Amino acid sequence: MSLMALREQLNGLVNSMFLEGLLDDQFEQLQMLQDESSPGFIAELITLFCGDSERILAELTKLLDQAVVDYQKVDAFVHQLKGSSSSVGAQHVKLACVQFRQFCEEHNKEGCLCALNVVKHEYYLLRGKFDTMLQLEQRIQAYESKQQI
Amino acid sequence: MEEVEKREEGRNDGMLEGGVEVRVLVVDDSPVDRRMVEVLLKKSGAMFQVTSVDSAKRAMEVLGLSEDKTKSPVVDDQKVDIILTDYCMPEMTGYDLLKAVKEQSCQKPIPVIVMSSENEPQRINRCRAIGAEDFIIKPLQTNDVLRLRSYARTGLPPPPPLSSSKAGTKRKMTIELMAESGGGGSERRRPRLTGLAMA
Repeated sequence: MSLMALREQLNGLVNSMFLEGLLDDQFEQLQMLQDESSPGFIAELITLFCGDSERILAELTKLLDQAVVDYQKVDAFVHQLKGSSSSVGAQHVKLACVQFRQFCEEHNKEGCLCALNVVKHEYYLLRGKFDTMLQLEQRIQAYESKQQI
Repeated sequence: MEEVEKREEGRNDGMLEGGVEVRVLVVDDSPVDRRMVEVLLKKSGAMFQVTSVDSAKRAMEVLGLSEDKTKSPVVDDQKVDIILTDYCMPEMTGYDLLKAVKEQSCQKPIPVIVMSSENEPQRINRCRAIGAEDFIIKPLQTNDVLRLRSYARTGLPPPPPLSSSKAGTKRKMTIELMAESGGGGSERRRPRLTGLAMA
């Protein structure tokens, strides 16, 4: 695939993520921060986000598996995930966390379990697209490095 | 999970008078937010020396503060010019850290800016009441970081905060109401180049 085709594919992917609402304005802010002095910034941030999110989702799964749920701890973790998803512009994940916190407030275990599934669904959907994004980015960078030689 | 990261960020053309670096202590349990703040500080143009820690407890250690109140606290104010702390953190919150810093009896306590993703007027007022210089709603933007220089540079009050409860409310409520109404933003999004493939 040519360099131009790769770039088009990457642009198309990111634009579709904006159009679908997976990403919001905040991701645009991150794009503006990436430049020659910090070329891998977005990749780094996405990697941090994914690692942190999966840690949190594992904790939430464990907490909601308990007979007696500690809603304060659950809420604290959901709050963390809401924060980091907001920071990277992961809009759907953020909104799912907002809903999740409402169920926590109500001490509604069933609601929390449903909300957790929704958050997981949104996160893994986003994660899949982020993986593709980063792979395309790597291929483009490799292509460009080859051209410079 | 304890980590202290030190990065020197910035360019010479934004240095303070006398060429002094501004030493910022960033306190946030979120690795994503810590990295974002570091890069924002780098892009702002001023010469920042950034130390990042992942807990208020760790921040206390960096500052030379002790949680043991029987010991007379002596802030190592040679190390830090400004503290940028998240509000919500496990065990010791940003509010607790703010309080500990402001309780120091030194002549010029270190300026403390509090960050939070929750735009709660009560929380904001609570922090301001015990001496927080400003309260910034997350996620941070470039303008927010530019304000840090004002606090650290002159020691004088900066221009009226953009992130006050009124201004912060207006900006954040607009964005959050739009988001929470389920708008995916498609109606206001036009196709654009990603910028990811920038050389």
